[in-house]
Amino acid sequence: MVGIGYRKDFAEEFLQSNILDPSFIEVAPENWIGIGGFWKKQFLKVLEKYPLFTHGLSLSIGSPDELDFDFLRKVKVFLNETNSKIYSEHLSYAKCDNAHLYDLLPIPFTYDAVKHVSKRIKTVQDLLERKIAIEIVSYYTPIAPELKEIEFINMILEEADCELLLDVNNVYVNSFNHQYDAKAFIDQLPMGRVSYIHMAGHEKVSDTLIIDTHGEAIIDPVYDLFEYTMHQLKRDVPVLLERDFNIPELQELQIEINRLSAIKQSALKIKDYATV
Amino acid sequence: MQLSEPTFKHQSNLASYCRTGKLSTIPGIIRENVHHYRRLVYNVVDDMLQNAYPITHELLTAKEWEGAVNNFFTNHPCQSPQVWYMPKEFYQFLADTKHPLLKKYPFLEELLWFEWVEVELFMMEDKIVQADKSGNILSGRLVLNPEHHLLSFNYPVHNKNAKLIKISDKGKYYVIAHRNTEGEVIFTDSSPALIRMIEYLSESPLSIKELFNEFQQEYNLLLSDEDQKSIIRFFENAYKQQLIIGFGKQNDLI
Ligand SMILES: [Fe+2]
Repeated sequence: MVGIGYRKDFAEEFLQSNILDPSFIEVAPENWIGIGGFWKKQFLKVLEKYPLFTHGLSLSIGSPDELDFDFLRKVKVFLNETNSKIYSEHLSYAKCDNAHLYDLLPIPFTYDAVKHVSKRIKTVQDLLERKIAIEIVSYYTPIAPELKEIEFINMILEEADCELLLDVNNVYVNSFNHQYDAKAFIDQLPMGRVSYIHMAGHEKVSDTLIIDTHGEAIIDPVYDLFEYTMHQLKRDVPVLLERDFNIPELQELQIEINRLSAIKQSALKIKDYATV
Repeated sequence: MQLSEPTFKHQSNLASYCRTGKLSTIPGIIRENVHHYRRLVYNVVDDMLQNAYPITHELLTAKEWEGAVNNFFTNHPCQSPQVWYMPKEFYQFLADTKHPLLKKYPFLEELLWFEWVEVELFMMEDKIVQADKSGNILSGRLVLNPEHHLLSFNYPVHNKNAKLIKISDKGKYYVIAHRNTEGEVIFTDSSPALIRMIEYLSESPLSIKELFNEFQQEYNLLLSDEDQKSIIRFFENAYKQQLIIGFGKQNDLI
């Protein structure tokens, strides 16, 4: 299965043609909770055609602030009403000192952050009555780190007993920005926890920095890393193409989807790999 | 478990830097990269505000706009987890803090409210009411579209180019905003009497005759034939525009 991030920018053409034909769509619940009128009608039509995966933005799982239980209850209703297959969130924080920032800030890789975040993931999973998939985010600077990124992530996955959304592009971006070997990083992740993969494009803003923009096509080295990941994974998981800005002709998105499918199929061809 | 002081403090410092541009010491950061966080966060907020308030953005100078956005984001803790709703807090912040721009542009507070109402009506959850689709506008009980807002302005922010609004335009402007079944938001010029009648309808469906009676009783006056005709014309049009979305079940009782 290869899906697409559903965006209002292409909603109309998406519904009216078959140019873009993903296996599922993904949205952020916060962009659709409590929405009516024109967009609700469009959304319901899309939901008739495609299964829904969700990827939250505002839960702020790594925040020092209290979890927003009112919001979480709304998310739960939304997930049930839309029969959402997956709820994923970012391993980051987007709210601090009682203020939402509407972007993903990096959590300090510290021991007490591990405890704090793991406990919150467990609370969220209990309340939602489902496992959630946590995404490794791109980051442009570490914040007072006591641990390596990989240690921080693995400790949380273990302690929270949650799933992993492996954003292959983010691993590539981080390996470039923080100078490590992306494949070695993937080798150290618990592949059994991967329930969802993200793929996207990015923007290299200098010789030492890539920003995770989701505004460009996926580049070849990220396709290569995806292929490598699929060989390590040895099983089929849903893959999402994320494109948030600078959206091209739908035909071009479909070409990317086809390429991702092809890479996945060929990596899984080797006998005895399970496919779904 | 609560975070220990240092981790919390570092997170707070980074968040505060994104909101204010003032960077405190954070161990281990890459100084030349950290400004991207401020840029990215600011751009999200600025984009959302420009989308919600295109007329205000056009009206203000670039410096005024940037100043207002910065002032808002620095000093106001945004409460909505849903970013589309955040611009309402911008309007409220400028109004609550009596921002100097509201003095420079005496109609600005109303313009912001007008622009926000359009966003909110366009986006808000569907409100379902029961109504027969067909009926007689003269005899049936009119069912009001609940997806509406009643507005009154001192300046014609809803129908005059904001750059051309002058002090001499000051007056009383009554406007009804509603969302039709296509999801479009429509603004209709109105009057105090019509607004009052819409308020009656928001309580329960009434026929035009019942509206006349209730209004005449409340204000102890008689509507002239001319007034009655023009009110009927208003409701005929309101039905076409789906401000009146249908008829109550007891159509034929009147
Ligand atoms: Fe992602």
